[in-house]
Amino acid sequence: MSTTRRKITIDPVTRVEGHGRVTVQLDEAGKVERARFHIVEFRGFERFIQGHPYWEAPLLVQRLCGICPVSHHLAAAKAIDQIYGVDPEDLHPTATKIRRLLHFAQLFQSHALHFFYLASPDLLFGMDAPVEKRSVGAVAMEHGDLARKGIQMRQFGQELIKALAGKKIHGITAVPGGVHKTFHPEERDYFLADNETPSIDTMIQWSQEVVAFIKDYHDTHFRWLDSFASYPSGHLGLVSKEGALELYDGRMRAIDSHGNVTLNDVHSDNYLKYFGEGVEKWSYMKFPFLRHLGRQHGWNRVGPLARLNVCDSISTPLANAELQEFKAYTNGRPNNHTMHSHWARLIEILHCAEQIKILLNEPDILAEVERPPVNRRPEGIGIIEAPRGTLIHHYKADEKGSITKCNLIVSTTHNNEPMNQAVQWVAKNVLDGQKEITDGMLNQVEVAIRAYDPCLSCATHAMGQMPLKLTVFNVAGDVVAEHVKNSA
Amino acid sequence: MNLLIGIGNSGRSDDGLGWAFLDRIQHEARFPGDIEYRYQLQVEDAELISRTEHVIFVDSYRGELSDGFQFEPCHASRDTEFTSHVLPPGAILHLCSELYGKSPRADQLLIQGSSWELRTGLSAEAKTRLDRALTFFRTELPF
Repeated sequence: MSTTRRKITIDPVTRVEGHGRVTVQLDEAGKVERARFHIVEFRGFERFIQGHPYWEAPLLVQRLCGICPVSHHLAAAKAIDQIYGVDPEDLHPTATKIRRLLHFAQLFQSHALHFFYLASPDLLFGMDAPVEKRSVGAVAMEHGDLARKGIQMRQFGQELIKALAGKKIHGITAVPGGVHKTFHPEERDYFLADNETPSIDTMIQWSQEVVAFIKDYHDTHFRWLDSFASYPSGHLGLVSKEGALELYDGRMRAIDSHGNVTLNDVHSDNYLKYFGEGVEKWSYMKFPFLRHLGRQHGWNRVGPLARLNVCDSISTPLANAELQEFKAYTNGRPNNHTMHSHWARLIEILHCAEQIKILLNEPDILAEVERPPVNRRPEGIGIIEAPRGTLIHHYKADEKGSITKCNLIVSTTHNNEPMNQAVQWVAKNVLDGQKEITDGMLNQVEVAIRAYDPCLSCATHAMGQMPLKLTVFNVAGDVVAEHVKNSA
Repeated sequence: MNLLIGIGNSGRSDDGLGWAFLDRIQHEARFPGDIEYRYQLQVEDAELISRTEHVIFVDSYRGELSDGFQFEPCHASRDTEFTSHVLPPGAILHLCSELYGKSPRADQLLIQGSSWELRTGLSAEAKTRLDRALTFFRTELPF
């Protein structure tokens, strides 16, 4: 047994978007004293967008990310619509359908990326697999059919985004009060037929296959999947007026770990009334919480698992059947099994594929859209369900149209406390008291974080709300200079 | 089909050499094939490459190159350590072979850069090397 205090650092955490690190502090007996997930990136989008014209926001803020730019583009667009003078329900129906189509394409490709490229090595090769097995390359070599389907599913979503936005990454679809373009018939038909990119019918079939895969996998690995990094938590997501899963425009609903409603289908305009944001000196990522429950008890998971927990149904038949089976597994009670996030994510993939087919067959996605006249307002709030969870954009603009305030609560930010809880679970249940910490044990920390599909680049956009400390060490490790920029 | 893939980021000064090369080639409209811009290679590029006869990767290079650029064959590499974030051309060619059973002819054109700051536009040295690489491409390659 070790006789000195030790600190274990995992830096960087791999197969996630962005950069973060984990530190685990062990005492003299090898017992875990503290485990933390630190976000060490620094961005500053909320500050440097100030002064830009409001209509630039959907173009600029999507640069937060190369994986989910569409989500930021659309959340910002919904907020900017309001500054322009249009509420979501007053947007032209064709514009709404085009934006929803873009959104489902984004969710589809992002979920495919996460499951096939980032998460599948852990499931297929196990958490103790050697490092060389922990990549999509190894999946390609040993599970070629699965890898090929994963690649083409992501490609389908990316090509649909390109057709709508002009580019796969950082394109333009939404403009204040409308959309930049709608579909031409030949653009639409490309996705209905098998081409170099398989058709939407093939995507639905493959989505069903991958849901069947995760259920089979669960049947043989349920002891691990039902227990690993499981802990009680709140859950937050958008729902429709009918209580169904809603990914583009809905009301916010939260429940606690027992299923009691803690946020009852509130409108986006009221988010500030309900949400507070805590900060810690050891992370650049904020800690959102429900004000009436406080910082300690008011945090919620967001993302696929949370969304399926808070909704009553799904509007598309195939995904709804899967949802009911998913809910039946926990007898209708909230599912707090972190690893079931993968199962939930794949049910959402199926839902997105079904929704894409419905929208592609809507005749008016080929129609022209006229924007309503501008009727300026001072502020706007846009909330959508991004792949990783509830995404909030809030802007204020002055009479000249310059942005004066921006607040972003990004999906991964909601999951900050849940990811820290997951890290602490692994620290206490896997690392605690071990004589030797193996590479496989450390990978389990990453597996727990990876279940949330965190996008750390998106989540570290804040500036001016936490101290920035710069410390310069000499080669001997002595501090030779220190500069602290305190909160604004 | 021939395919030219430029890798880089024009917002990072000379990291944009790959894209700048493609801009010039596209402007001349003589290249008989497709042109693709990438911040970085993606796993799905293996599928794209499987449909080509000849692929050329164009990227900036941080080290010293005797002529300011270097054109060389590119081979599939199983040993390359890669993640889903940084996929070198050799890894993509390996995935292409494993997943699709295709091994198209592949080359890479590396152009030496000098400046990597957050800035749009190439350094003066990089512009000179870009011109040299373009001259080589036009005169020595069968396009």
